[in-house]
Amino acid sequence: MQRGLITAAVLAVSLCLVGCGKTESGNAPAGASGEQAAKYLVIFSQCNNAEPYRAEQNKQFAAAFARYPQVVFVITDGQADAAKQISQIENAIQRQPDLLIVAPLERNSLTAVMGKAMEAGIPTICLERDIAQPNYTTFISCDNVEIGRMAGRFIVEQLTKKNGSPKGRVVELTGMKGVKAAGDRHDGAYEILDKYPEIETVFSGTGNWFQNEAMTRMEEAYNATEGRIDVVYGHNDPMAYGAYLVVKEKNPELAKQVIFVGVDGLPDEGQEYVRKGYLSATFIYPLCVDKAVEVGMKILEDKDFKPKTTYILPSAAVTPETLAAKTD
Amino acid sequence: MKQWLTNFLTHRRDLVQSLIVLAILFTFAVIFSPRTRGEYTYNLFGLSCTVEHWPIFLKIENLTDLLRANSPVAIIALGMTFVILTGGIDLSVGSTIALSAVVCATLLVEQQTSMATAMIASMVAGGLVGLVNGGLIALLRIQPFIITLATMIGIRGLARLVVNNEQIGLVGGQSDSAIHFAHIMSQKSVVIGAFLLLAIAFGLLLWGTVLGRYVRAMGDNARAAQYAGLPTRRVLAAVYTLTGLLAGVAGVFTCARTNNGNPNEGIAAELSVIAVVVIGGTSLAGGRGSVTGTVIGALVIAILTNILGLNNVDANVQSMIMALVIILAVVAQTISLGAVTRWWRQWRGSTTN
Amino acid sequence: MNAPRPGHGYDEVMTPSGQPLLTARGVSKHFGGVVALDDVSLDVFGGEVHALMGENGAGKSTLGKVLAGALPPTAARLTIDGKPVSIRNPLDAQRLGVTIIFQELDLFAHLSIAENIAIGNLRYQERFAVSYRAMAQFARPALSRVGLSELSPHTPVHSLSVAQQQLVAIARALSMNARVIVFDESTSALTDEAVERLFAVIDQLRRDGVACLYVTHKMDEVFRICDRITVLRDGRYVGTRPAKQTDMAELVRMMIGHDVRSDAHAAACATDRPLLSINNLRTAGLRDVSLQVAAGEVVGLAGLVGAGRGEVGRALFGLDPILGGQMTLKGQPYRPHTPRQAMKRGVALLPRDRKAEGLMMQMSVRENASIAVLDSLNNLGWIRRRREAQQTDHVGRQTRLKAAAPQAVVSSLSGGNQQKVLIGRWLLREADLYFLDDPTRGVDIGAKEDIYAIIEDLARRGKAVLMVSSELPELLRCCDRVVVLNEGRVAADFDARRTTQEQVLTHATSAAAGHARPQAG
Repeated sequence: MQRGLITAAVLAVSLCLVGCGKTESGNAPAGASGEQAAKYLVIFSQCNNAEPYRAEQNKQFAAAFARYPQVVFVITDGQADAAKQISQIENAIQRQPDLLIVAPLERNSLTAVMGKAMEAGIPTICLERDIAQPNYTTFISCDNVEIGRMAGRFIVEQLTKKNGSPKGRVVELTGMKGVKAAGDRHDGAYEILDKYPEIETVFSGTGNWFQNEAMTRMEEAYNATEGRIDVVYGHNDPMAYGAYLVVKEKNPELAKQVIFVGVDGLPDEGQEYVRKGYLSATFIYPLCVDKAVEVGMKILEDKDFKPKTTYILPSAAVTPETLAAKTD
Repeated sequence: MKQWLTNFLTHRRDLVQSLIVLAILFTFAVIFSPRTRGEYTYNLFGLSCTVEHWPIFLKIENLTDLLRANSPVAIIALGMTFVILTGGIDLSVGSTIALSAVVCATLLVEQQTSMATAMIASMVAGGLVGLVNGGLIALLRIQPFIITLATMIGIRGLARLVVNNEQIGLVGGQSDSAIHFAHIMSQKSVVIGAFLLLAIAFGLLLWGTVLGRYVRAMGDNARAAQYAGLPTRRVLAAVYTLTGLLAGVAGVFTCARTNNGNPNEGIAAELSVIAVVVIGGTSLAGGRGSVTGTVIGALVIAILTNILGLNNVDANVQSMIMALVIILAVVAQTISLGAVTRWWRQWRGSTTN
Repeated sequence: MNAPRPGHGYDEVMTPSGQPLLTARGVSKHFGGVVALDDVSLDVFGGEVHALMGENGAGKSTLGKVLAGALPPTAARLTIDGKPVSIRNPLDAQRLGVTIIFQELDLFAHLSIAENIAIGNLRYQERFAVSYRAMAQFARPALSRVGLSELSPHTPVHSLSVAQQQLVAIARALSMNARVIVFDESTSALTDEAVERLFAVIDQLRRDGVACLYVTHKMDEVFRICDRITVLRDGRYVGTRPAKQTDMAELVRMMIGHDVRSDAHAAACATDRPLLSINNLRTAGLRDVSLQVAAGEVVGLAGLVGAGRGEVGRALFGLDPILGGQMTLKGQPYRPHTPRQAMKRGVALLPRDRKAEGLMMQMSVRENASIAVLDSLNNLGWIRRRREAQQTDHVGRQTRLKAAAPQAVVSSLSGGNQQKVLIGRWLLREADLYFLDDPTRGVDIGAKEDIYAIIEDLARRGKAVLMVSSELPELLRCCDRVVVLNEGRVAADFDARRTTQEQVLTHATSAAAGHARPQAG
């Protein structure tokens, strides 16, 4: 009896939550234009909402498409689960959208279902992560190896400035081992750094993309090297920022001299850290939103438009100088 | 004193063996630690002493670093010890860390509340998660694994929902209390001190109180506990609430240390917590274990991670070594010292003959 | 070293002629520093039922387990058919045809009879796919040998009675071609009726030439079915006697060294103040039970397993929901929903299975004794340790508990002393009504007498006692009245001083009490 009541209560609460969730996450068109005016259905299959980079991407997509009243824009969240993302794309195909945008979670597992979308005649834009076969209308991405090279060049330049010649001691805080982005960002940077024998990597620890873990690695790096560090290269901004916090606590003077370099450059994350002077530089990993919206709208409105198969977007360095140039 | 020592050696064999594992690991850490390049001056209680080529592992700064870094997990492990002693498990603590951290950051930055308000609210949030766990387990009589697996998923969602998938930086905003909070609550003395105080409190709770006795009795024999008329539901609710509360505390410390309320904080932290408890000699079957053991377990994990890190061992190799130590530590508790000495004597006998 | 030599003090007289099927010489078993068996020797012949007797802790079960490979010996020289063999694990034992029927049966409750018999059986060759029909075929001959041929081999074991489960275990042993079967206290969980059935099976095994090693401490059984009796004391061999040439007095002397009184009766402290009255009580296990207990009275509950003896206690202690009828306790209506409520009203229950339902085996003697009274030792959440020590030490003396120290883990105690700890827990609680479910189960003779004294003392202090026992002489000895239950109803109510075992048994076993048969399940 009691058990039944409690079960009923739990059910009721969860149903309420379902109701709330619906009103929260409806990514229907902004403004009062409504469905009547809409001509096009655009579905964006996001692989995992719960990452700052992805959250920012969703936000910018919604804002960009809101400018076009003829578009109904819907986001689905794969929740970092390939199977879930596949079934969401299958559902999307059933709805016959005019444009499908996919940010695939994994290279191999999503290839087939995107092929199905193409067979169903749905124009498909693949974002950032390449899939195994070119089952897309166009592929928009940014090259992590190139970002790594940019970071490498920046490090060489700064070390030369600091020590008179390209020499110095580097700490690398890597992303999760076995993830392609982490491997590419490492390879690109070391393609450059390895050319300079006097640039020495004194510590390479894995922060798994997390600031918290990177901070513990940085403490170990600091203690093991007794603070003899010139550069910290973090595969993302939170890790580089965590490293900064650690060095600052241990030796505020040193924190001003060490060159902290991050990657991703989200406006209110990495760029903010550079603005505040925590990081010396961050390298923007583009959200691909503007390009995707631009190409997507052309596909929708211009029947004769033939997009390129790939658009590689350039990264950009964010340093105090570029920020100053922007505000001027 | 001698009486006490013999008692300890005979009745707390498991603890003695954990201590031996800890001592061996500590010795290894000292031996394999990189050395300081120059002199190192100790400053302990006003006494100073200068040594050359001192093991970096033994530097006060390094030891306090490793203690602080592991305190959040160790703090939760204190509560998890109670949960596991009842024969249960709490998988939701990692998500609870995230919830507590984002609640804390949101209140400080977006609501501009005082430090105390934000901290209390975060801990209460953690305690509530625990109360829901304990309440459902006690009332529905469903296995704790299932209930806390569900809340692990649900609370992670709630944490992300609270901040809309974003991170709340403490220093980004204009809140003085947030900066103040990050500064104070990341101090080594505060974090390590909190862990030590909580460890003593939970040790006493298990050793000297009615609740502690009930917890051990329930894990030892749940049916007998019911037949002896123990308030089993209230005990379960209390134990899970305490653990949730501690996860809330850990969330506050993590938020302060990273200057950040991150809804993805603490993913898989529950596994580290369980590893600490198990290395400390607490049996997953319930009924057997101690807070002292858990503290030792936390030290084992902390020292091991630190010495591997100081030597910059590859992350994947680190994982494999960690696995080995977990198994060794648990095996060390099951072999009897008597058997080892007998084997040793036999071996010596066979080699000298 | 391999030449057989006479064991330490072994009686060579009066052994059957021919070659022993199994001989054991110099068997020792140490648990850490504790010596459970010390240089014990034994011969077992095919076609004999050989009793292994001794008080609890004498080592008789340990010896059985060592022979069946369930425990590796510290030292042992064994032969089977005169050939030296080594038995280190159950698989060795199975190959050599030795099996054990454990007191706590080691069956898989959720598997069928046939699966239980086939699993781990070297003689059952599993093909690529599991064939349930082949398994049933394999199981059938053994089942019919133990008289279970009427049961489908596909029946899940948990739906069988304890007695039937035991027969399944024996059938499994037979299907393994066992030539030596060790019965470890096999009748301790059985009713008299089931015991008879078991004895019939054992008798058949004897005729088939199987050697049965029968571990027990029950005298009457030994004289009924055993051919020879070996007595152990404190892990040492005491002697072997043919059953026909010895008597109870001699065996008791061999086991403990002194006689026990057997003609005692309850102290007769019953008052005329009714303490508990139960009227037409109905629960899942009880159909219609009415009985009264007065303060100072000891009432025995007799009946077969499943007759509802323990269920009366479960209802009284709030463990089973009450479906009908009323109870009155000390003049007030009584309907408990949880053990806590029952305890608050002054009811105590000594559960039947002390390991599963009573003791926290890894906790100390003191902690086990005080666990039910911690609310009275609670000082702002803290345990008043000094008072706890005083109270538990007092109750330890009262029950004549023999333990190394109050801090000793309760699992290190003998069965009798464990039971005393559990009884002590409820003595501390000072209840008005004690329900004792088989208080002397698996307890040695000395401790039994101590427990009888405790029951007498409770009656003298004006407590009401309800007592279940599988041993009728015990009920007649301890109780003022004996209430006989049959299929969930009261079949008879006797004055214990004026009734006989036969009378009680008749009412317990007769289906002619005019009731409908119980429904299945």
